[in-house]
Amino acid sequence: MKHFDPVTLATPFFIVTVILEIVLARLGKLKAHYETRDTAVSLTMGLFSTLAGLPVAGLSFAAAIWAYHHRLFTIPMTAAWAWVLVFFLEDLTYYWFHRLSHERRVWWAAHVNHHSSQHYNLSTALRQTWTGGVAGTWALWLPLSLLGFPPAMVAIEKGVSLVYQYWIHTEAIRRLPRPIEAVFNTPSHHRVHHARNPRYLDKNYAGILIVWDRMFGTFQPELDEEACRYGLVHNLGTFNILRVAFHEWIGLAQDIVRSPRHTLGWLFGAPGWTPDGSRDTSATLKAQWAARQAQAKPAEREAA
Amino acid sequence: MTEGRSVASFAARRTPLNAAALIQLAISAAAVAAMVGLAAWATRGRGAPPLTDTEARRWLADEFPGLAIEGLWLATDGKGAVAKSKDQALVLSRMGDGYAARRLAWSQAVAAGLKDGRVRIALGDPGAPRAVLAFTKWPPQDLAA
Repeated sequence: MKHFDPVTLATPFFIVTVILEIVLARLGKLKAHYETRDTAVSLTMGLFSTLAGLPVAGLSFAAAIWAYHHRLFTIPMTAAWAWVLVFFLEDLTYYWFHRLSHERRVWWAAHVNHHSSQHYNLSTALRQTWTGGVAGTWALWLPLSLLGFPPAMVAIEKGVSLVYQYWIHTEAIRRLPRPIEAVFNTPSHHRVHHARNPRYLDKNYAGILIVWDRMFGTFQPELDEEACRYGLVHNLGTFNILRVAFHEWIGLAQDIVRSPRHTLGWLFGAPGWTPDGSRDTSATLKAQWAARQAQAKPAEREAA
Repeated sequence: MTEGRSVASFAARRTPLNAAALIQLAISAAAVAAMVGLAAWATRGRGAPPLTDTEARRWLADEFPGLAIEGLWLATDGKGAVAKSKDQALVLSRMGDGYAARRLAWSQAVAAGLKDGRVRIALGDPGAPRAVLAFTKWPPQDLAA
């Protein structure tokens, strides 16, 4: 079978559509906000993300081959049912990968840069991690090869998912027809995922199918009354690309050096976890927000 | 062993830094430069306006909900602000067309030095190491204690 890489094939499409989004936004034909240095960081992160993955690529590939050699079944790459099956299983794997990447700090350290833009446009989609390989999340896909899916098939399906997720990074598309919004990850659902409003934190982890969020209780629709504010809870104060790529790893290392006996907590606690609770996690931010809402409601009723 | 061969050939095709990959990287780099240039053209004349008292308070309310502001000092170039809330300094500094916000002890903020019309406040965060804000006087005389 000829080598097939969906991401490489889609690269010209990425370039053309970013250009279109910038130009049409400038002409007032669609909604998109670009900022020059922010765009430069996003695109440069994307450009070098493939190179950054190389040091671990051999290891992850060898692990997939090893898993495939110890497979439980032999699943033919030529069967349509196999592609349908790998589509669902890869997407489910992606959901859990993505959820771990937000809810455990060691993996958040690798993923945080994708969320570090205060903008939400097609260039944001290309702000890809440089440290995903080191973080080891590729291991989550090994069970698929162990099950019997050829590693090439898994790699192609991962590429398909990545390409799908590109076009949903836009404010130009408001809502799609209800049946599509019900089943698929859409620009509206993914805007919520990139928002830093407490109500929207840690929601909509889907890759292609939003049904996983609905099943596992992490779905949050975009609300007209609460516009998304994009970026991180603590937005970056620099466009230095090395800091964008590595700031959370540096912070993690500093915390471990400062208090090594809490290493497991620093690594596998939620982002913001501290032994003394002195920083905010998504859970505490949501609780504080809910408390403010509860306080505000009686005051609103009194005013009415 | 057919499967072994197909796996090996797949691996060979994925050899990362062959000539085609380097050409693709070079073309992609050129495309990135073009897109950044286009973004610069498209956003020309659309920079963020200088921060006003009202805007600063709106940002601070978003970033630090529920904290009372006792004093607010805008940077002279409108690219940031420092607010006092009890014993804390709330610092806003321009980041593109948005802002980065951090809080730190007020005593730390007032200890920052003023040099060449800039106050450099160390924020102690790898993601926002320092805020560099334009002030003619620092610390503020009225609430520096």
